[in-house]
Amino acid sequence: MRAPAEGTLRRIATFVATFGIGVATYIAIADSGGGAPVCLAGGGGCETVANSSYSHLLGINVALFGIAGYVLLLVTALLRGDGARMAGFAISLTGFGFSVYLTYLELFVIDAICQWCVASAVLMAVLFGLNAVRMIVYVGRTT
Amino acid sequence: MSGKKAREERREQRLQNETQADSQERRQRLIRVGSAVAFLAIAAVAVLIVVSQNQSGGGDTNLEDTSAVNRELAGIPQSEMTLGDPKAKVTLFEYGDLQCPVCKTFAEEVLPDVIDSKVRSGEAKLEFRNYTIINEESVPAGAAAIAAGKQGRGWDFVELFYRNQGEEASGYVTDEFLTGIAKSAGVKDIAKWNKDRKSQPVLNEVSKTTTEAPELGFNGTPSFAVSGPGVTGVHPLGSSGSAAELEEAIEEAG
Repeated sequence: MRAPAEGTLRRIATFVATFGIGVATYIAIADSGGGAPVCLAGGGGCETVANSSYSHLLGINVALFGIAGYVLLLVTALLRGDGARMAGFAISLTGFGFSVYLTYLELFVIDAICQWCVASAVLMAVLFGLNAVRMIVYVGRTT
Repeated sequence: MSGKKAREERREQRLQNETQADSQERRQRLIRVGSAVAFLAIAAVAVLIVVSQNQSGGGDTNLEDTSAVNRELAGIPQSEMTLGDPKAKVTLFEYGDLQCPVCKTFAEEVLPDVIDSKVRSGEAKLEFRNYTIINEESVPAGAAAIAAGKQGRGWDFVELFYRNQGEEASGYVTDEFLTGIAKSAGVKDIAKWNKDRKSQPVLNEVSKTTTEAPELGFNGTPSFAVSGPGVTGVHPLGSSGSAAELEEAIEEAG
């Protein structure tokens, strides 16, 4: 099977990362000032997750780490070359790994699901897939 | 002439092969670097997980019914120890002791109905007042609830405390237990909460409401009182009461 053109991978990654910035920014804003994101399907899942002590890392809202990650992934999607390919792969792998851990916490520790966090985890998984293909197929090649 | 051309072709072929080999080698090298980068990324995730686990201190893992409490209180405004619309004309007061098992039963079986029918609709607001009668450990527990109320999480704290209550006066109300409740209740600034719960004004508030409860004729927990346009001052309702009785008292006071 032929791998998609690098330009296509970068365009999709740009779109997904931009979307991710939106989702993470919503979670961060909703969670600031004692609030919580509103679960579209109802239930208190988003509030439970936002209230959990796991929602902050070293006193910083986890969503802010998400925003930083998506911004960096957006930059790597916009740039050409091996540096961007490597950085995109590394950042998306870190983001994806941490998302898997956060989803595990939601399912088995906090016992509540926040749709916004799941949406972010899915976007991060897609970005990891795109960046992994970009790195494996195109690293060391000129475009 | 043809010999020269053949030599040139061979030279070109050789150069092309060398370039291809260089490119292949460079790609191999970069993939090795990529593997190292992947390893570092996985290490970074491991560090994040360890930090996350250490800071949470397992606070959430041992607590019961966090989701149930969140569902019960979701979307209802809170201010200090009051749950519900601040403009509601009727106020239902609960004089409770967080260590009291009967209060726990009320919190689980009676108050959810009242909250659903009267508080959520904005008809009445519900105020928790400490009436510390079990033993001296009820005082730091009540103060911790008031401190959580200063961050808009007073009722989350009270409800979670009741649902995770230990055996009466068994010494379970430790700093660790209270911190676990506060974190799960959604208290964001734990340092401020720690400072507030030990402050004199907060401790005074606990003793003030404990002193006023017997003045209303109460001698056990939970006791309820109601205020509103239909009654004079704070009207005591006594210790017993089903959800229907409390709802009727709210309607009469409205």
